[in-house]
Amino acid sequence: MSAVLTPARLDEALRLLAENPAALAMAGATDLLVRRRGAIPGHEPVLLSLAHVAELQGITEEAAFLAIGAATPFSRIIADPLVHRYAPLLVQAAQTIGGPAIRNMATLGGNICTASPAGDSLPPLYLLDARIELASPAGERALPIAAFILGPGRTALEQGELVTRILLPKAPRFPRERFIKTGRRKALAISVTSFAGRARLDQDGRIAEIRMAWGSVGPTVVRLPALETELVGAPVHAATVERVGLAVHQGVAPISDLRASAGYRRLVAANLATQFVEALGG
Amino acid sequence: MKVRFELNEAPMEIDVAPDRRVVDLLREDLRLTGTKEGCGTGECGACTILVNGQTRLSCLMVAAQLDGARVTTVEGLAATTAGATIQRAFVEEGAVQCGFCIPGMEMAALALLRQGDAPGRECIREGLSGNLCRCTGYTKIVDAVERAGRDLHAGREEQ
Amino acid sequence: MSPREPLQVGRPEIRYDAAAKAAGTEPYAADLYPENLLWAGVVRAGVASGRLRSVETEAALAVPGVVRVLTAADVPGPNRHGIIHRDTPVLVDGRVRHAGDAVALVIAETHAALRQAIGRVRAEIEPLPAVFDPEAALGEDAPLVHEERPGNILLAAEIRKGAADQALAGCEVVVEGEFSTPMQAHIFLETENGVARLEGDGTVSMTVSSQSPFRDRFEVGAALDIPYDRIRIVAPSLGGGFGGKDGATVQCLLALAALHAGGRPVKMHWQREESMAAGYKRHPCRTRYRLGADRDGTLRALYCSLLYDTGAYAHLGGEVMELGMEHAGGPYRIPHVLIEGRCVYTNNPVAGAMRAFGVCQVAFAMESMLDQLAQRLGMDPLELRLRNTLVDGDVNCAGLPLTTSTGMVGCLEMLRDHPLWRERQAWKDGAPPHARRGVGLAAVFNAAGYGGKVRDAAIAKVELNPDGRIAIHNAVADMGQGNACGFVQMAGSILGQDADQLELRQPDTATAYPSGSASAGRTTYTFGNALIKACEELRQRLINRAGLLLFLDDDCDLRLVPGKVIHPPTDREVPLSRLAAFMPREDRVCISQFVAPVCRQVPDTATGFFIGFPHVIFAYGAHLARIEVDLRTGLIRIDDYVAATDGGAVLNPCLFDQQIQGGVAQGIGYALMEEVERREGCIQSESLATYLIPTAVDVPDILSCRLSGNEATGPFGLKGVGEVAMNGPLPAVANAVADACGIRLRRAPFTPERVLLALEEQA
Repeated sequence: MSAVLTPARLDEALRLLAENPAALAMAGATDLLVRRRGAIPGHEPVLLSLAHVAELQGITEEAAFLAIGAATPFSRIIADPLVHRYAPLLVQAAQTIGGPAIRNMATLGGNICTASPAGDSLPPLYLLDARIELASPAGERALPIAAFILGPGRTALEQGELVTRILLPKAPRFPRERFIKTGRRKALAISVTSFAGRARLDQDGRIAEIRMAWGSVGPTVVRLPALETELVGAPVHAATVERVGLAVHQGVAPISDLRASAGYRRLVAANLATQFVEALGG
Repeated sequence: MKVRFELNEAPMEIDVAPDRRVVDLLREDLRLTGTKEGCGTGECGACTILVNGQTRLSCLMVAAQLDGARVTTVEGLAATTAGATIQRAFVEEGAVQCGFCIPGMEMAALALLRQGDAPGRECIREGLSGNLCRCTGYTKIVDAVERAGRDLHAGREEQ
Repeated sequence: MSPREPLQVGRPEIRYDAAAKAAGTEPYAADLYPENLLWAGVVRAGVASGRLRSVETEAALAVPGVVRVLTAADVPGPNRHGIIHRDTPVLVDGRVRHAGDAVALVIAETHAALRQAIGRVRAEIEPLPAVFDPEAALGEDAPLVHEERPGNILLAAEIRKGAADQALAGCEVVVEGEFSTPMQAHIFLETENGVARLEGDGTVSMTVSSQSPFRDRFEVGAALDIPYDRIRIVAPSLGGGFGGKDGATVQCLLALAALHAGGRPVKMHWQREESMAAGYKRHPCRTRYRLGADRDGTLRALYCSLLYDTGAYAHLGGEVMELGMEHAGGPYRIPHVLIEGRCVYTNNPVAGAMRAFGVCQVAFAMESMLDQLAQRLGMDPLELRLRNTLVDGDVNCAGLPLTTSTGMVGCLEMLRDHPLWRERQAWKDGAPPHARRGVGLAAVFNAAGYGGKVRDAAIAKVELNPDGRIAIHNAVADMGQGNACGFVQMAGSILGQDADQLELRQPDTATAYPSGSASAGRTTYTFGNALIKACEELRQRLINRAGLLLFLDDDCDLRLVPGKVIHPPTDREVPLSRLAAFMPREDRVCISQFVAPVCRQVPDTATGFFIGFPHVIFAYGAHLARIEVDLRTGLIRIDDYVAATDGGAVLNPCLFDQQIQGGVAQGIGYALMEEVERREGCIQSESLATYLIPTAVDVPDILSCRLSGNEATGPFGLKGVGEVAMNGPLPAVANAVADACGIRLRRAPFTPERVLLALEEQA
């Protein structure tokens, strides 16, 4: 048996965390309690439940960005009109996470802190230039998501620090935004490869701006900035599509595991990207 | 710790280890064994309950998280119009075989049907996609939820 | 109040158990938490092959709340269980043969103490060479899983009819292929569990999630040297079984724990991970086929070789393979057949019974061959099947002349006339970009009953309770398939009663009579036949005793209606409660028995078979799958599914469709995603996050079409349909993928990865 701390305010949560440095921060618990299952009873660390911390809940609009509380569950994100307006890509991704009950429990902050290569919310957050706001008794700071996530299960979160909000800059929408997840079945499956893409074309139908990100094909989300730059000005035709496929095939670095082989992931990563680019023309 | 919550419309106070899994609290401590455990890792949905009207997996919740919450389990279903309608539809449409997934399915169905209009089959399948059934192939479960949705919708129209 | 109506056969009567299950009040074994209970749990070997040198228990015993830590030294008796071969140690006493072997048993006051103590037991296991590949297991220098089993062969057998080799050499067309099927897990939602207690009189009584309560007594008694009459097993409704609870799971361990628990109840409930590691599985199988035909599509000759991997212990491995061999040629007339089967031991998890018991493996191969042949001949695959399909009086591939109902043609004709088949080309042409559509067929069959040399019998008991209700003492477990509901319906129809007037008691070895296991498509058939006789006897008796009470000259105008016996000519009646008060106990009980028919002239085609050959009754099915393949990801989506089934007469259309739809869904999982992944014999896909089964969005609406037939030997004309539907989806999907993309998938399951790689290879 271990204690469960249930602070109602952020300062209280930070104080409790300072007093219990071994405490595990718990939001939706969908990942944490599964991992804890294997633990030998009697040695479990204290749990710090963040579900009732008011500052970590909900979605607010500020002048320059949309702020999503770290302990906001995905079902709330999916239902929120502000997220639909400013970050439809995140809505698309959130809809593919777990089943309905999991989406009522699992939170955006939890998905980020778990830092799984397969985290479904991550590719959209990279494309949306999300910043991760952190708080500790010493103060606040914010990091770009790419700087926050360091590797599988590793983040820049320091001892005594909590993720408080995810900040999404309000930027003009892209006419084409698409998230695609592939798994071994249609629902309730951990991603084998995921893809997020945003693009706009110029008046001549050439690519004006394109951003792409892949999940589950590297230790963290994979971006191919050189390809994105190279594609600016390219017409949407077969040669471009082929170029994209080749570049992705070479650019991603997946591993083989129980869910799929590296080779398959590479193929699908390329196919999802070419499908996205091809569809820009249609 | 003392955990106070509302359980199936009645106040409940229980002295329990704060990190006790809610599924164990319900089944073993309160003998509400209608809530089932099929996997313990949030993959099967057999332990689905409603917390403040939303589906939750009671195998991935600890007792302390219930404090102050409003909890509905399958034992509280029949007391509500929607719950009784869903149960009747499951029985009459032949949606029940071994029955071990059924309480969780019904909770998921209740949450889905509370969202409003009578949903179509695709929407029902999405709504039940977190609940595994190994006996039925889902066809008759979808039939049951579809019918419950229609019955509830018709009931609302009449009022 | 509307008049009470008796239950009737043939109608979609509501399952008697549905209301309690929907209300969450049905008591499963897992729901028992008796006062003062202790928890028992198992320490597993964790390595696939070795010699157990020692088990260190001190640290575990030091955990507060730990009552006992038992090892093989604490096991009374031979310490071996098994259904046919008693080869499985309750607790390992030397050789470890698979990672899930039990090496110690812990009893504790709480579940938390139990888990802590299990983590502290140290088993010293000296590793020994292991073999995981069934073909490698056959090698001359392969390590032996059981020293006394040379070549690691559990069973090698043959079916030979005609001269297949010569006939194949002379065939105008020959197609061939090699196929492999995965280890599948049952994934019943209620994992293996039970509660046991040592009673004051020395009886071990147990309530357990079991498909075979009567046979459990033999397994437990033989393993622990407990007299048969000192074991009582109760089997309440199961939260699924599918074969995985046929044979001892927790039973011997629980009985052992009870012997050391000082009369306190002991509960054991395997977690999902333990169920994956230690529970029984479906046999993985490799098959090689050669099928020869005339140019007009008439099948001439078949050769096939089957290799089943039974894992570390025999369980029912030999019988599973035998049934596979009996079905290897499909529901077709083929004059020349040679089927070779081998079932081998490996250090893999133990394979046992699972729905479609050895048959779905060969159905995949045979039905793939049929489509390959149709393609070679340029024939319509449905017409090719119809040309060769078994009909009444034909001799099947095992050499058995068919004397029971044979509805294969009718099933295929239902598909031939179905719009999904007739309009398939238009549908295929409508495939969206980056996708291909296909339609695939499979013709399948599945035997019912235990087969020759295994007595397939049941004893039914019905009883007029003192309150006037009639109790049916069901003796074959209901794992969800609804046999108990069928029994209520049969009894109600014969006795003129409605559901309220009937009480269904689930199997209890203390009050019911041995009736075999819930398996083999025999559950409703065999017990139902016995029940009909018992109910008819009770009906005569109730009418007769009512006549006595009413001082009538004879019984001819008396009728049973819900709750009473009536005499319309005089407008008088006797309530059943009054009859019950009048009748002494022994008069209120009727018992009858039935033995299923067997083949009297056993064909001389089979050699090496131990028991279970041949079968005489078969259910038939014709399946159709419409699928779409995503060329970008390889994901197969099944859009439509139709299963036409011959199960004889239909007792209850709703129960019938439930079995078909459920079997198809399990078959779809087998086709698309299910595979128990192992490394060095240890299961990698140990949770439902890694072992995937279909969700509600992975299967389409499954249409069940019932062929109206009649099986003369069946209760109310029925045949068992619990298994046949499992056989269709894998080959139907394989054939649909071939139709869609021109690729022939021979290794199941068809994961997106395998599909995409096959597409790449083709390109």
